[in-house]
Amino acid sequence: MAEIGDIANAFIRSEIEEFLERPKEIEHMVNMFAASSERMQNIAAALIDGDNGACDELTKGALDDGVTALEVMDDGLIAGMGIVGIKFRENFIFVPEVLACARAMKAGMAYIEPILSASGVEPIGVAVMGTVKGDLHDIGKNLCIMMLRGSGFVVHDLGVDVSPDDFIEAIEEHKAPLLGMSALLTTTMPNMGLTIEAFIDEGLRDDLRIMVGGAPVTQEFADDMGADGYGKDAMACVELARSLMADIRAG
Amino acid sequence: MADAIKAMTSRERVLAALNREPVDRTPVCNPTSVATVELMDLVDAPFPQANREPELMARLAATGYTELGFDTIMPVFSIIQESSAIGCKIQWEQKDNWPTVKMREPIWETADDIKIPADLCTHPDTKCVTEAIKILRKEYGDEVAIIGKTMGPWSMGYHCFGVEPFLLLSLDDPGKTKLCLDRMKEATVDFGIAQAEAGADAITLPDHATGDLVSGEYYERYLRDLHIEFAERIPIPIILHICGRTVDRMEYIAQTGMHAFHYDSKNKPAESMAIVGDRISLVGNINNPETLFSKGPEEVSAEVRENLEAGVQLVGPECAIPLQTAVENLKAIPQTVRDWHKNIA
Repeated sequence: MAEIGDIANAFIRSEIEEFLERPKEIEHMVNMFAASSERMQNIAAALIDGDNGACDELTKGALDDGVTALEVMDDGLIAGMGIVGIKFRENFIFVPEVLACARAMKAGMAYIEPILSASGVEPIGVAVMGTVKGDLHDIGKNLCIMMLRGSGFVVHDLGVDVSPDDFIEAIEEHKAPLLGMSALLTTTMPNMGLTIEAFIDEGLRDDLRIMVGGAPVTQEFADDMGADGYGKDAMACVELARSLMADIRAG
Repeated sequence: MADAIKAMTSRERVLAALNREPVDRTPVCNPTSVATVELMDLVDAPFPQANREPELMARLAATGYTELGFDTIMPVFSIIQESSAIGCKIQWEQKDNWPTVKMREPIWETADDIKIPADLCTHPDTKCVTEAIKILRKEYGDEVAIIGKTMGPWSMGYHCFGVEPFLLLSLDDPGKTKLCLDRMKEATVDFGIAQAEAGADAITLPDHATGDLVSGEYYERYLRDLHIEFAERIPIPIILHICGRTVDRMEYIAQTGMHAFHYDSKNKPAESMAIVGDRISLVGNINNPETLFSKGPEEVSAEVRENLEAGVQLVGPECAIPLQTAVENLKAIPQTVRDWHKNIA
């Protein structure tokens, strides 16, 4: 097992020491960062700090010097987002700070995405995401999409105020095995259930894995309306999507 | 002691509770909205018209008192009336959904763009509110408390700048954020005063600096002083409304001089009361999606009792209720309050 002192970047070391409390997470982060180059640690640090200018510059510099897009994405950007996700979950930071980190990630991903799509790397999974009918809120959904894309998923974003018919059409068009629905309002939450019923009526439910989220949504509510999973935040969404894809592959 | 107090009207009861004075029983109140599709059908006052026509707005709002047995009437069902008057694009929706501001199409980018229109309080969508309050005051006199609603500048910032740009601005440039809030606050005060003059007994002030989005430190930095100013300038009791987790900012909220705080079910009643003490009344906090919308009267009653036992001064739903909520569940709130007081008498 690596030691915290094996991590070259002092900012990353202090972030782990100050904000991580769960032994398994500390072990995972220490091992991951200790195994990555100082250059990738610097990218992660810029992202955790919400510094999109530095993230842009460091990502471009690394790619120009021949570091692979996958390494920059996994060891730099996504590794940094791992710390951000834990800080958010534990209420050390809130949405404005996460948005700044997302902005930094977006700056880096702007260089990486074209390289990855040109290389023909097989995606981990394909998802359709949207905010349900009658609801125009999308911050949480957008963070989920960014994290899913950063984790190797292809995501078709239908935006906000999406009707059950539009969800069905997109799932059929993209042959996506995963659907993600978001709602922020208690009055629009029932539209998640109505959309699931629409998929059942069309005979499309059995082949689909449905995940739901949004500030007022809970695991209990997700279970009651027949979703396959609930994600509390963007990090949980990625974990859930990976696990649902594993289910699909396992048949 | 509750049993030593003479019988009060609903209005007297609510005003006393807002002032943390003795009451004959705990008032039942929703400072946001109790409109439901069932009630719309009952009095033929559906959305979206009930958000735009004073007669329909008043008729639907009155059902909170006449049909549900609450001690308040709240005619402002949505949070968009003044944003519409300011110039935001509104999706008015249909009977089964609230109107919403199209926040993906913001109208302002910088503090210099902020202009509060001269007709803020006479625009059809704000005048509808003041006219509805006048109708209700005329019809119900001093019988029941009439509550208005004026949006705080933080919520207005989401509407006018877009949620994401406004939250990023708050991180990137605190000075400019404060300038924006300072300019928008005049709309909050003006619309609040207009409703007081129309006859409102108290006013709900939603300002969504929720724990789901920002820290308690943000509330202190950006909003506490503004809320103190609102308490000084708006001449009727203010009920601050912030959804989500707020325990980490209740200490600051209790310092504002506002009369009450409408709090969410994500905060425990006893814990919340312990923080605010006798500095501000609490209103709430029956869960909407999982209890009022999805469960039955028994579960509603259990949450009502938890609030009563904690000493919460006004009991009611945590926020505007889902429009499909069963009336039976809403009626369980005043019924449980009455039963509880009988049992302890």
